[in-house]
Amino acid sequence: MKKVSTLLFLLGTFMVSAQEQGYFYGELETNAQYLQDDSGIGFEAPDDKLRANSYLQLNYNYGKITAGLQYEAYLPSALLGYDPMLNGGNKIATYYVNYRDEKFDITAGYFYEQFGSGLILRAWEDRQLGINSALRGIRTKAYITKDLDVTVLYGEQRNGFDLSEGVVQGADANLNLGEVLGFGELNLNLGASFVSRYQTNNNLPDVPNTVNAYGGRMDFSYRNFYGGIEAIAKDNDVIVNEGNIASPQLFDGTAMLVNLGWSQRGMGINATFRRLENFSFYSDRYAEGNIYNQQMINYIPALTKQQDYLLTNIYVYSSQPRLFMSSEAEKRAGEVGSQVDFFYTFDRKTTLGKYGTRIAANFSYWAGIDADFDLEGQVYDPKFIGSGPRYYQDFNIEIKNRWSSLWQTAITYQNVTIDKGAALGGPLGTQGDIKANIAVLDVTRRFTKGKALRAEVQHLWTEQDRKNWAAGVLEYNFNSTFGIYLTDSYNYGSDDKPHYYSVGGSYSKGNTRFSMNYGRQRGGLLCVGGVCRYVPENTGLSASLMVNF
Amino acid sequence: MRKIIFMTFFMAITAMTAQSEFPSVDIKTLDGKSINTKELSSDGDIKIISLWATWCVPCLKELDAISEVYPDWQDETGVELIAISVDDSRTISRVRPMINGKDWEYKILLDTNNDLKRALGASTVPLTLIVKDNKIVHRHSGYSPGAELELYEKVLELSN
Repeated sequence: MKKVSTLLFLLGTFMVSAQEQGYFYGELETNAQYLQDDSGIGFEAPDDKLRANSYLQLNYNYGKITAGLQYEAYLPSALLGYDPMLNGGNKIATYYVNYRDEKFDITAGYFYEQFGSGLILRAWEDRQLGINSALRGIRTKAYITKDLDVTVLYGEQRNGFDLSEGVVQGADANLNLGEVLGFGELNLNLGASFVSRYQTNNNLPDVPNTVNAYGGRMDFSYRNFYGGIEAIAKDNDVIVNEGNIASPQLFDGTAMLVNLGWSQRGMGINATFRRLENFSFYSDRYAEGNIYNQQMINYIPALTKQQDYLLTNIYVYSSQPRLFMSSEAEKRAGEVGSQVDFFYTFDRKTTLGKYGTRIAANFSYWAGIDADFDLEGQVYDPKFIGSGPRYYQDFNIEIKNRWSSLWQTAITYQNVTIDKGAALGGPLGTQGDIKANIAVLDVTRRFTKGKALRAEVQHLWTEQDRKNWAAGVLEYNFNSTFGIYLTDSYNYGSDDKPHYYSVGGSYSKGNTRFSMNYGRQRGGLLCVGGVCRYVPENTGLSASLMVNF
Repeated sequence: MRKIIFMTFFMAITAMTAQSEFPSVDIKTLDGKSINTKELSSDGDIKIISLWATWCVPCLKELDAISEVYPDWQDETGVELIAISVDDSRTISRVRPMINGKDWEYKILLDTNNDLKRALGASTVPLTLIVKDNKIVHRHSGYSPGAELELYEKVLELSN
């Protein structure tokens, strides 16, 4: 704490004395909750009923130099669902100094970075998800020509308030070949990446100290067409489950991402294919598969549509890149699948266009990699695609209309099939599926001076898991700064028929946003009052304050 | 006690400097070229900068609502809207077909690893700014129906 005050004081003095040329910026965010026991959903509040995550970010820019820090406090405990190692912590979590001119961009301290799509390396922050995978070390970017840049970095990854045991080194280069060769309408970008993790094997001779990954990518666009391909290979490494080495063998890993799209005014279509084989990558080998997403070097999100209604967020898929060969029930090598998106706006001159009809449709299918496993010999023989067990399938369509300047509607339909293991945990591909149909009607009525009423009616049909759900949302905005809402998700098909109700409001003006909420959170993305955030399940009162300066 | 000192100091700084500089960060065009955010509003014109994402329903509502009246706004004030997507690689491939499918006429840029979002201290999207000569002159987070009218009033005020 003393360190913080001193730093603040220094920063403040520096800022005041240099105010004429430099500038200062930052942000404060506090999210607090007070939890209570709730027998209605079987929730027992933990000992620390009051919990809060606070972040204070301060930056100062003076010409080519920027310096900053982020102070974080999880007092008395971190919000429910965050890594318990943060509980009670309060410290300067990250700091940096950056120099930047037209040719160089050099950072010492903590930095964020992404190579390509992040498939090989991504250091990033998402407070709602409790992820901060910043690296502490040195990063240099050189803009060699306007079409060629190179990044070199070295650092240790943040793990809570500590650092990972592993050391990450990386290099990345991007070349805009289309510009260089004067291809005109053909835009062609090439990229190459290298990432290395060093972690001592502590005299276990079969465990590699260093694991390297190599990748290349190409992105193009030509008139209405565009696309890209990225491929990564990772050296042999042990596989780890729950902190223990799970096989005497070493395995390499691969990843491939292909994207193709076509779009013109009023219409767009995009298809993505991805295959991940034994492709999780952590800065500490023993962190593989940890549930708090700590120490992840790369970024391998589920490539499905991110839904944001209450009931479309119950059966959500996450990517399954890992290799298991522990038993007949747990043998898998990764995932393969694809998704297609389609967007269409009807021409204003047509009947449908007169009512501002817009359509968005999405289909995705994800399955385990088809492979023959030899559990005894601890080897496997994978097919490139094959017909592995289905983990997730989703078709959804959304139709939006603007009937007049006062009335708007959005209708969403989703048909989803998810493997029980993927949805609820446990082994994949052996427990059967959950099949659900979901329909949502979202109506907005505008009044004068920014007053608006929005209502949602939702229903989820399923024979499996917790059976049927119904849900509703009522939201009223008094103006663009102040709004209140009431929501309820009612799991009437289940035996104990719980209601997940919630009431709250938000005030947002200029640099400040304040929101409050009381009720039961089922967990997932909550989008009300114009903002979306991830909320883990609990019952209680929560409040959030964000100030920018 | 220390916490109180800390908070007081913080509030003092806030009050003293409520700064308005638009940060300088490298983001990308749809064609993968780097562009520095300082270049976006250096010409003295008024720009609306909107941080959005393909998965953010209120963002889409805001940009859809503005797109209905955008031609009028441009005729009357010459204001340009720059829609900066904070989609990461999970959803970024949806940006291009979506903006075309929606027939938006905004300039679209990509903040894939959220460098600009972080520099702006934006925990959530949408975040809508009015920027002139690299100064943030108006800031609003969240969207409720009709907020675009207030935004435009602000633009009118500034363009006079």
